Amino acid sequence: MRFIKLIHKWTSLFVGIQLLLWLVSGFYFNIMDHDKVRGNQYRAKIKPAPEVYFNMNNASFIDPKTILAEFDKSQSLKIISVLDKPYYLLTHQTGLYRHFYNNQTLVNAYSGEEVVVDQNMASKIANISYNGPGKIQSVTLQKPPIEDIPKEKNTVWQINFKDNVNTSVYVNANSGRLIKHSDDDKRFADFFFMLHFMDYASEGSFNNWQIILFSIITLWLVLSGFIWTVELGFKGHYKFSLSIRKNRKQRISEVPLSAVDKK
Amino acid sequence: MTLLKISRKLHKWLMLFLGIQFVIWSVTGAYMVIFDIDYIHGDSLVIQHQTPIDVNKVNISLNDVIKKYPDAQNIELAVLIDLPVYRFKNEHMDMMLNASSGEVISPINEVMAVKLAKHYYSADDDISEIELLTDKAPFELSKRHLPAYRINFEAFASPSLYINAYSGKVVTKRHEFWRLFDWMFRFHIADYQDGEPDNLLLFLLSILGLFAALTGLVLTYYRVIKNKRKRSNAIY
Repeated sequence: MRFIKLIHKWTSLFVGIQLLLWLVSGFYFNIMDHDKVRGNQYRAKIKPAPEVYFNMNNASFIDPKTILAEFDKSQSLKIISVLDKPYYLLTHQTGLYRHFYNNQTLVNAYSGEEVVVDQNMASKIANISYNGPGKIQSVTLQKPPIEDIPKEKNTVWQINFKDNVNTSVYVNANSGRLIKHSDDDKRFADFFFMLHFMDYASEGSFNNWQIILFSIITLWLVLSGFIWTVELGFKGHYKFSLSIRKNRKQRISEVPLSAVDKK
Repeated sequence: MTLLKISRKLHKWLMLFLGIQFVIWSVTGAYMVIFDIDYIHGDSLVIQHQTPIDVNKVNISLNDVIKKYPDAQNIELAVLIDLPVYRFKNEHMDMMLNASSGEVISPINEVMAVKLAKHYYSADDDISEIELLTDKAPFELSKRHLPAYRINFEAFASPSLYINAYSGKVVTKRHEFWRLFDWMFRFHIADYQDGEPDNLLLFLLSILGLFAALTGLVLTYYRVIKNKRKRSNAIY
């Protein structure tokens, strides 16, 4: 039993502060506003325009086969609409997920020319996805890792709006896809996630070495405490009436004798 | 009573009721952080093939597709194993065409589903079971992926691939470690209903747990840093 108590004492010293952080952040996740923390306070719902395969002059798209032959080898060619105009999105290297590295080219479907998502185009994409009161403050091209979206592995445009929650909009710099909105409410919650996941290197992951170490030590702390509690129960330390009587006895003995004498 | 005595009493009594929850939190938490989340998500179960479209095999033009299916939306030219295919939405139904012959190949049959599953599955295990799910999605599959084939493999941790019958794409994958992870998460957030962490039980457990841990830290402070009491005359 002495060994159990020793484990409990020293592990508590080691993980105590982090344990409090886990409980505080966990409590925050329980009470936080689950809509606000998505970062979509000013995100407009956009219905993409249906694709129209002929323009005003009845000129049709360049055929996919021609496009495929002209560009680097592609694994897929998708017709997408960006800012209500049709494009071919060529994927030369496909990631398992969209936020993994994907090598893509955007091609004008009428002219067959490659389109680079520039600052101007990215701003327009961000603007139609935004329904808040702010105006665009800055637009910068960012390579991963990106603080707001640590899992993203592609180059993105960050479009910052000047509003009460400092909205940032992220647009994939190759495809023009709207990735995400982020704002101060989301960043506030992200701070608690960082604490909870011990993600002090901002890798966007809870599989880091420090949390693995701490979780194993916490297991020792909790299991030793559990055994201790069970042992206290067997030894009769949880008898409620007994503990009151003990206290009363103590309290009487604590009264100075002089006080009794005077009565 | 001194802070030490209050803390000791509170810690002892709170942990009588919360002890089990702390065991649950630390066991489920340890499981979730120790197993790599990409492994949990079964990323190693599938191969992301990088097969390019063979341009010479594409005989059907976009115009041919649109002429035949004027309402086609979200058109994509892609590769099914090594065959170029058109995928699109036609009147709320997903379709897949052979881009060489123009023949409709969706929905895929069981033989094709097996062929695809073996193509995407990263190991060389035998298939133990195959089932076409049409109306009811199991807990681990989103309803929007229906209809889908579930292909179970005879291997450690019982991996399954889910392949959409219209697109032929692997829509999700599962193995026991992921299924267990989902349970661990629900226990971690003390949710036995809808999988969200905003339940009253967690509210009570975490706020009381916070007190229990705080009083425990007070004890640690007295026992380790102040070290006022000798180990021999301590009750605990």
